[in-house]
Amino acid sequence: MSIPVIEVKNLVKTYGPITAVNNISFSIMQSEVFGMLGPNGAGKTTTVEILEGLRSADSGQVSILGMNVAKASDKIKQKIGIQLQAPSLLPLLKVDEILDTFAGLYQRSLPIDQVLSIVSLEESRHVLVKNLSGGQQQRLSVAMALVNDPELVFLDEPTTGLDPQARRGLWSAIENMKTQGKTVFITTHYMEEAERLCDRVAIIDYGKIIAMGTPGELIKNNFEEKAIQFELEYQAPEAFWMSLPGAIRAATEGNDVVLYSNNIPVTMSAVLRLAEEKNLTGQLRDLRVREATLEDVFLKITGRRIRE
Amino acid sequence: MKPFNKLVIASFKQFFRDRTALFFTFAFPLLFMIIFGLVFSGDNDISYDVGLVNQDNSIIGTTFSESLQMVPVFKVSEGTLDEMLVELKNGDLRAVIQIPADVQSTINSGKVAEIVVYYDPAQTTSSQVILSALGQIANKANNIITQQPVVLKLSEQSIQVHNLRNIDYLVPGILAMSILFLGLFGALPMVEWREKQVLKRFGATPLRRSTIVFSQVAYRLVLAVIQALIIISVAYFAFNVEVVGSWAVLFGLVILGTLTFVSLGYLAVSRARTTESAMPIIQLIQFPMLFLSGVFFPIDFMPAFMRPVVNALPLTYLGDTFRQVMVEATPLHPMTVNLAVLAGWLVVSIVLAIRFFRWE
Repeated sequence: MSIPVIEVKNLVKTYGPITAVNNISFSIMQSEVFGMLGPNGAGKTTTVEILEGLRSADSGQVSILGMNVAKASDKIKQKIGIQLQAPSLLPLLKVDEILDTFAGLYQRSLPIDQVLSIVSLEESRHVLVKNLSGGQQQRLSVAMALVNDPELVFLDEPTTGLDPQARRGLWSAIENMKTQGKTVFITTHYMEEAERLCDRVAIIDYGKIIAMGTPGELIKNNFEEKAIQFELEYQAPEAFWMSLPGAIRAATEGNDVVLYSNNIPVTMSAVLRLAEEKNLTGQLRDLRVREATLEDVFLKITGRRIRE
Repeated sequence: MKPFNKLVIASFKQFFRDRTALFFTFAFPLLFMIIFGLVFSGDNDISYDVGLVNQDNSIIGTTFSESLQMVPVFKVSEGTLDEMLVELKNGDLRAVIQIPADVQSTINSGKVAEIVVYYDPAQTTSSQVILSALGQIANKANNIITQQPVVLKLSEQSIQVHNLRNIDYLVPGILAMSILFLGLFGALPMVEWREKQVLKRFGATPLRRSTIVFSQVAYRLVLAVIQALIIISVAYFAFNVEVVGSWAVLFGLVILGTLTFVSLGYLAVSRARTTESAMPIIQLIQFPMLFLSGVFFPIDFMPAFMRPVVNALPLTYLGDTFRQVMVEATPLHPMTVNLAVLAGWLVVSIVLAIRFFRWE
């Protein structure tokens, strides 16, 4: 029962002097949605492409669906679905034609209608690929990953460049896959997306996994405090903000300030008092209290924000 | 077979939606044929405008001017010497023939009479034709006047069963050119797929690389056959060019030629990173080949030092075999040599393309 769908041990990949993937290990069980998070260049895509069999590793073991990826690549490819980062499509084919073409490359395939409905592209089925919007192309590239009814789906930054509505559409498609018992490996740099979709996440930076667990665990392990976030036209060093009553840590970027506090009422009133003293109450914007997020986890562990 | 079929079908669907590809594959060769066909169509009734200045009213002058009028390639106009010379200098006439007033009397006195020909030596071809025609007329006149019996008569026998017109020469050349284009550009989609990561996407499926290549080559072969059928039909219906040789051999050649040039195309772009950089490489091969292979005009027109180049190009052999099979033109090389050279290019190109083609 419990053979991992993906098992990675001590994976290393270097490009010349750069170590893109530095000795990472993890395993993923069936019908898990597993997210790999990290900034651009952290090694996400390299890792995924090794798992997909598109690149070879320098060292380490990768087994997919119980098969060694280096040896049984063809067998594995029949059972996995892959969405690449840049939608690489054939512009002069229609949506249903390109899906039919790809379905023809596998021994087993789903009816085109079913695939189209998963990604809500039914109405565009007779549209030429080149005439699709960016969001539609992105959804089509996800659909192409599903034509062979795969047991395991790889999605590499599937929502990058999508508008919020299209993004939500894709999220529900991914939740659909999970309920069908598929295992989903997703890379993203949207923390909100990872929190919403993933059962477990691994945070990767400079080729190393620096944290792994359920989003809730990661947040709880790193934060007991909550965050007060606001925008204020008042430049002060982080040390100043940390000196406010109750504040444990602070992070600033321009006028944006995030204060982590164990005692929200005390810290909050200190912030309000400061704004009043400096005569800046009118400039205090977007003030809110929130639970810590994965974004905060990343910020705490790496000292940097994830940027697009 | 299923992945192969799906890829071939997908290629055709894309092709028929690509107006540029359609134009260059089907309309361009026809356009070429029609333009050249019209340009050369006047070739069979070449005529030269010549001026005649007959200052001699005797029987000799009249006879000479009458024989001149009967030469089919001459269009004769008469006038005074001054008028005629002006027209010659203006380029309206190719030659002026002057029969001096004293021709009859000179002959009667037993001397040699002179008939003067003015011509422009810059007009090499026409001058030679005119001068030799006039020479023949003069000889004939000599024979008649001196009443010598004819002992040698030239009997003309063409070794060509069919009288080859320019268009007959041209159509097989256009067929060869079209195959050159179709073949050399055949690898371009692969470069585009590599550039746009379509090959990478295919690499994520169980599809084999060999299946991708075979499907692309098969698609080109079918396209080449369709293209050849169109060219041959238009040549037949518009210009009355008939295929006299074997159709089976002809289409065998279409396939061999396409395979050769597709392989050469793959080799040419094997290292090109983008379609933009692949295009000039293809053109660099295409244009010299087009003009040096004798597909549009006989290679006799080319200087001798170019011959080794001409004899190295595969298009020379393809054009030559097409001419042999379609219109039974005189071979440059025996058929077996042609086929061997084409096959040689094919094998070498395939081996090198496999060795050098970059997939990522």
